Amino acid sequence: MTSVRIQYYALLREQAGMSRETVQSKSTDAAGLYDELRERHGFTLARSQLRVAIDGEFADWSTALVDGAEVVFIPPVAGG
Amino acid sequence: MTVHSFTFSDQPLDLEQLRGSVEDRSCGGYVSFEGWVRDHNDGRQVARLEYEAFEALAVKEGQRIIEEAAYRFGVTQARCVHRIGLLELGQVAVWVGVSTPHRGEAFAACRYIIDEVKHRVPIWKKEYYVDGDSGWVNCERCASAALDSDSHAAHGHHHADHSQDPAVSALARHPQGLVAPDYSRQQILAEVGPLGQSRIRGARVLVIGAGGLGVPVLSYLAGAGVGTLGVMDGDSLDASNLHRQTLYAITDVGRPKALLAADRLRALNPEVDVRPYVEHAALANLAGIAAGYDVIVDCTDNFSAHFVINDVAVTLAKPAVLASVYQYEGQVQVIDTHSACLRCLWPEGARDGTVGNCAEAGVLGPVPGVLGSLQALEVLKVILGIDSPARGAVIIVDLRTLECRRIAARRAADCPAHCAPCAPSPEPETIELALRLPVAGWTVVDVRESAEVAAAPLPGASLHLPLGRLLDDPAQLPEGGRYLCVCARGLRALTAAKALRQNGRVAASLAGGYRLDP
Repeated sequence: MTSVRIQYYALLREQAGMSRETVQSKSTDAAGLYDELRERHGFTLARSQLRVAIDGEFADWSTALVDGAEVVFIPPVAGG
Repeated sequence: MTVHSFTFSDQPLDLEQLRGSVEDRSCGGYVSFEGWVRDHNDGRQVARLEYEAFEALAVKEGQRIIEEAAYRFGVTQARCVHRIGLLELGQVAVWVGVSTPHRGEAFAACRYIIDEVKHRVPIWKKEYYVDGDSGWVNCERCASAALDSDSHAAHGHHHADHSQDPAVSALARHPQGLVAPDYSRQQILAEVGPLGQSRIRGARVLVIGAGGLGVPVLSYLAGAGVGTLGVMDGDSLDASNLHRQTLYAITDVGRPKALLAADRLRALNPEVDVRPYVEHAALANLAGIAAGYDVIVDCTDNFSAHFVINDVAVTLAKPAVLASVYQYEGQVQVIDTHSACLRCLWPEGARDGTVGNCAEAGVLGPVPGVLGSLQALEVLKVILGIDSPARGAVIIVDLRTLECRRIAARRAADCPAHCAPCAPSPEPETIELALRLPVAGWTVVDVRESAEVAAAPLPGASLHLPLGRLLDDPAQLPEGGRYLCVCARGLRALTAAKALRQNGRVAASLAGGYRLDP
């Protein structure tokens, strides 16, 4: 299990009902982590619709999770 | 035929003929104003008057006033004729006629025209008094000329010094550009100074979107003295804009925002060359316009426009400052020739409808205000050559928690904008349907979220598959069917139909979306 800190924005924050949480994940990469959280929180956005950032930098979904990583899920926003 | 004209006449005015020239069957209201030569002024008996004008300049300014009135009040026909030469008592010195669909606008426009003409058009009046004396009076432009001896000389006439006159002091404070802009407060900064100010003055900035983000951008940049400011917006003001778009007034509702903004910005700083474009940004028009600017500011509220602006900026190698908001959050990104662009970051799926805009998701006014202010600041940094952490990154601002986060972004090796810039990707076709659902031969796919469907179900048979689920695997819909994707406004449906077609399905989307209201 990997312990990661998660930060949500926009629609994901609404659907998760929280801005942040720390989770114990059995996933090995960012993609698996999102799928896990999507299952738990009922996120409507597909992975192809958002970006993930790990430790302050945009990252690929295949990026391996390491203990203590800070993971941010960022949906695109368009309003103005 | 529409008449919008300002002219001079050295002959007595034919009022019947003038009235006839603004008659219009589409108008329900006509208001005219006549300015007469009266027999006294300032306690002296007046025998007659003489008007003189610097015609080339005066006609230009007068014409501008008429055009302003036309868009501010929705005037159909508007005309103003001013006399020059010698006039006798009782003669008409100036005539204004306005025709509009409804009377309210006619009164307002007529009043606006005569007031502005009096203030702004360089016309001088010489009064001949009964006692044989005469004098030039009522030259409102002279108040500004008094501040500037060169232009004073350009008046070409002499008049008594009335700079001590309290009425003239009041005029010197009139907002119509009589006071020179003062940039001293920003010039004190080491990063600005006289050199920085001249850079700001030389800068040409195109702001696309004159809404919640655009208003603070435009206001601060005009205030800072940016030399050329383009304002591009194809929308007209809606009453629902006013809680966040503080440049406008409720009486402006229905008028094109680009023109309204231009009007306000010229009043804020007459030194700025403000250029309004009443059109939406598209590849076809934007590249030509943007070529004449140094910095592009994206203040639009939809992904199609964001991507168009991004592509044009990348192609023309112009720095661009992007921002967008969602409820209490916003993102800011500065792109230049070395940094990641929008397409480096966002997959094709990040398109309209996947996350709501202000109209759908709601927004508190100060949120775009803060993000737009950040954009204005970033533009000034670009102009002044001040480095910024918003370059090569996306700055995410959460205004509920007041947290700010920088996510570093690298340029993607396979970015389509950087590889094949400005290659317009064909937009998916949509079917324009005035028909009632369901549509024969098509399976209607409702891609809205469950709560939306529950609140406003579609009549007739439909398949409910929220966009996110559909995008997970578009091939889940059987081959051979014809799919008409439907959502509230047509944007999510567009994304869905495109994904289906990419998976070999026959699909279209309902343009404009499905709304229960007729």
